[in-house]
Amino acid sequence: MTTMTDTRSTRAASPDAAPLRRRRRRRFDRRWLGVLPAAVVLGALAFYPLAQLVRMSVSAVTSATLSLDWAFVGAGNWIKGWQEGDLPHAIVNTLVFVVIVTVLGLVGGLVAAIALRRAGRMGALLLGLMVFIWALPPVVNGSVWKFLLADAGLINSVLHSVGLPSVPFLFDEHLALVSVALVNSWAIIPFNALVFRAAILGIPEEIFEAAQIDGARPAQELRYVLLPAVRPTSLVLAVLTVVYAFRSFDFIYVMTYGGPGKATNTLPFLGYLQAFVRNDYGLGASTAVLAAAFVLVLAVVYARSVRREELES
Amino acid sequence: MQFSAEPRPLRPPLRRPRRLVRTIAAAAALATAALGLAACSSGGSSGSSKTITVWHYFSASEKAQVGLMDTYAKLFEKSNPGVTVDNVYVPYDQIQSKVTAAANAHQGPDIVVFNGAEAGTYALANTLLPIDSYLDSFADASQLSPSTIHKVEGKTYAVQGYVNLLGLWYNKDVLAKAGIANPPTTMDELTADLAKVKAAGADGITLCGLPQGQGEWQAYPWLTDAGFSYQDPSADALAKAFTTIQDWVGKGYLSKEAVTWDQTVPFQKWEAGNVAFAENGNWQIGSAKSDAKFNYGVVPMPLGPDGKVYLGGEGEGIGKYSKNPALAWKYLEQTYLSTEGQLDALKAVGSIPSRTDAAADPSIAADPLLKPFADSIAKFGASYPDPAVKPASIADLQLAVGQAWSGVIGQQSSPKDAATQLASKLAGYVS
Amino acid sequence: MSAIAVSRVTETAEGAPRRGRRRVGRSGPVAIVLQILLFVVYGIPILWIVLTSFKDSADVIGTQASFVFTPTLDAYVRAFQGQDLWPALEQSLVISASTTALVLLVAIPCAYALARVGGRMVTIALALLIVLQMMPQTATVIPLFQVFGTWGLLDSTVGVILADTALLVPFAVVLLRPFFRAVPIALEESASIDGAGIVRRFLSIVLPVARNGVATTATLVFLICWGEFLYAINFLLSPGTYPLSALLAQQVSAFGIDWPALMALSVLTSLPILILFTATYRLLREGLTVGAVK
Repeated sequence: MTTMTDTRSTRAASPDAAPLRRRRRRRFDRRWLGVLPAAVVLGALAFYPLAQLVRMSVSAVTSATLSLDWAFVGAGNWIKGWQEGDLPHAIVNTLVFVVIVTVLGLVGGLVAAIALRRAGRMGALLLGLMVFIWALPPVVNGSVWKFLLADAGLINSVLHSVGLPSVPFLFDEHLALVSVALVNSWAIIPFNALVFRAAILGIPEEIFEAAQIDGARPAQELRYVLLPAVRPTSLVLAVLTVVYAFRSFDFIYVMTYGGPGKATNTLPFLGYLQAFVRNDYGLGASTAVLAAAFVLVLAVVYARSVRREELES
Repeated sequence: MQFSAEPRPLRPPLRRPRRLVRTIAAAAALATAALGLAACSSGGSSGSSKTITVWHYFSASEKAQVGLMDTYAKLFEKSNPGVTVDNVYVPYDQIQSKVTAAANAHQGPDIVVFNGAEAGTYALANTLLPIDSYLDSFADASQLSPSTIHKVEGKTYAVQGYVNLLGLWYNKDVLAKAGIANPPTTMDELTADLAKVKAAGADGITLCGLPQGQGEWQAYPWLTDAGFSYQDPSADALAKAFTTIQDWVGKGYLSKEAVTWDQTVPFQKWEAGNVAFAENGNWQIGSAKSDAKFNYGVVPMPLGPDGKVYLGGEGEGIGKYSKNPALAWKYLEQTYLSTEGQLDALKAVGSIPSRTDAAADPSIAADPLLKPFADSIAKFGASYPDPAVKPASIADLQLAVGQAWSGVIGQQSSPKDAATQLASKLAGYVS
Repeated sequence: MSAIAVSRVTETAEGAPRRGRRRVGRSGPVAIVLQILLFVVYGIPILWIVLTSFKDSADVIGTQASFVFTPTLDAYVRAFQGQDLWPALEQSLVISASTTALVLLVAIPCAYALARVGGRMVTIALALLIVLQMMPQTATVIPLFQVFGTWGLLDSTVGVILADTALLVPFAVVLLRPFFRAVPIALEESASIDGAGIVRRFLSIVLPVARNGVATTATLVFLICWGEFLYAINFLLSPGTYPLSALLAQQVSAFGIDWPALMALSVLTSLPILILFTATYRLLREGLTVGAVK
């Protein structure tokens, strides 16, 4: 902590910066007070559900015992989940799904933000359309794509009209997962584009002008101006997108219901089936906690890399 | 970082951003005001003892069902002055968790109208009140068909005012084109007809292949026809039924896409006109009348002597935390369970009454669309869910069968593998 | 990153007279191709939504890949005839605006604190926020129902607002933090020489510089609230108090979906969003990039 602030203050090279620095050496940083309101709100309304979820994952909770005392079963739910044999497949599916959504979502978002950077009215309209899509509930977006990707849907009709065979987007056991992941990426790109755009808007125009005067080509401009500027944002977006992909279940629910068979079961969907279809809340909670554990690992990696980066900057 | 300027100490612009401060202060004030406003305008609770609150899952688009709920409300309000019936729509996906959450907080409706198959789940979740004492004192209790009274662990939790079941809808025009004179009455006939229809350039059959409860409900007739029963879940019988279905998919009689269809989409596909058969229910009568622009009819499912068709429909139970359960029961007696109410349902929705006297109403035998369903009840009718299934395992079983069914239609697994895996799972779900 | 922001403020502080508008409409060929691609990928589904909203429910399946059908306003007429639409719009506005304001009030100081202080605690706090972000909403409904039952907040808009706030604070904090980090600390230090306290420094320096991030976060939070329906359906017991999103979710039922009604309501629900977005878009593009420090 001290190293960090010291570096920064020194770099700021302000002769008058001393009082602030001295104040910061005190044991308690008063800026921590800023966390207080959030801590109160989350403590009252978010941590209790979280604790309940964790407690559920180590208890036998079905609809019959939900309102009674929950019997502690330790790792019983995890063992049950493992023995039922659905977990390994769901984990693999989830990882494939998360990779597709994260990569496409981030790259697509950045590309869209850059493509719309200078566009005028057209860009506004396009971004408006994209936000419109993002703001629609997944049940609408998912249903629309279910129609578009159906056997008699628009995409297959177009393929037919150019002499290609129709593609079983949503009912081939391998393709279905990819199709749903693509639609999920499509749905998250507007969000990422909007945030990337905010980061790009933060770059002063003079820098672009300077780059152009220096004869920077678009590729160089991208590499030396845009990418460095969106770097901190892209870290956060990467985490948010991974979390989004890791917990996404509504598109699967609407488009395939995990099928054909169990081909598109991912962890969140499996957790949904266990908790809300089979009413085994304990089992469902254990799957949810498992998914959260995956993300927690990523979260720690993220938080550390953020800190390292910030220490270096 | 490139293109950066030297940082210089500078005098920050302190004056201008006051506006921002003011904006934030205004936003804060707005938030506080909005919260206050919201607190004032929060809806009144429906706790009055003279109000019967009914939670159901019929959306406004199901005009017939919603109309029936309104009719029942008026019926009861008329004969019980001073009482208000409040019909509350909760989406199907949400109703079970909402009822459960409410019961957990010792709240909830007076009446829940829910998927009858889930009676066990609702009862085990302590959301329903046992109604044995009310049912015992009900003079017409003997009129009710036993498959419409839901008992869990010896106590009665729900009744049904009507039953819904599956039949085989057929397109007369397509059959005529394929040279088929009469709709099939056995599986062999059906398979032969499907081949003829396919040769004539039409599609064979549509049904629901979703990997969940709806899939299980639609799979049941075909499975039982092959000799399968939940009392004694044998892999061979399952494999036989699965082989037939996968064969249909392989020969193009049934689209593999069925794995993404709920029960509505396949009927709409059939209504579009180029499909010979649809396995679907009596609740589609209204839809067929308005949307099917061809000659059509319906027959009982073409099953053998072992074949069974579930008798489904909505169950009606009294909420565990109802403030006036006696009045709630009176509502059930005078609407869902009365002859008059059941005939209202028949007229409005085409659902088959659960009372023997109402089911004998001449209007059913005279209706060519209703009669096949009434005949099916006598011939194939089976309790839904199957009594052999442990109440706590019903949901597990429906999901497992639905997933296997979907995997077979989607050609994800071979009939034999699917049957073996499913049979070993089922052993744990039945008693 | 930090240096960039410094350079900008430096220049304006010195009174650089012309910070002209961003040049508009000068996209390269690659950008134009990409824009067309985006138009197709996002336009077609929207076109489909709009077209379906003008269909008769019997036509939806039969004409699902075709653009030829007899249009009908039936779905819109039904939507407007229902008594729920206007109260739902009002409810959506109250819930979304209050939640956005509350989330910002709570998340901004928190994000600023986590951006400025350092140490292991920040790592832990960030990781915790991400875990909260990971909570399935379906898992929070039942415990929150109990909490609101105890507090008498069931069936009240306040309950939904609080639940939405708790749902969105972690998201907003995580999203806001890098924008605050991008504000150079040197700016604050020089202000402290002028005798400005933390609050004043924050409000007069940090917040204006981070305004793009704050505005974007506010827009996103508002949009998410606008679409949130799970809490609304579960915590509001009387359907008369449902917001638009819950009305929309109600179109999907056990017996299939009334496609034209769903799509018409989607269009109607999204119109206010589109209006709001067009407004903030201009604000973001011109007002905020040029305004605050000019």
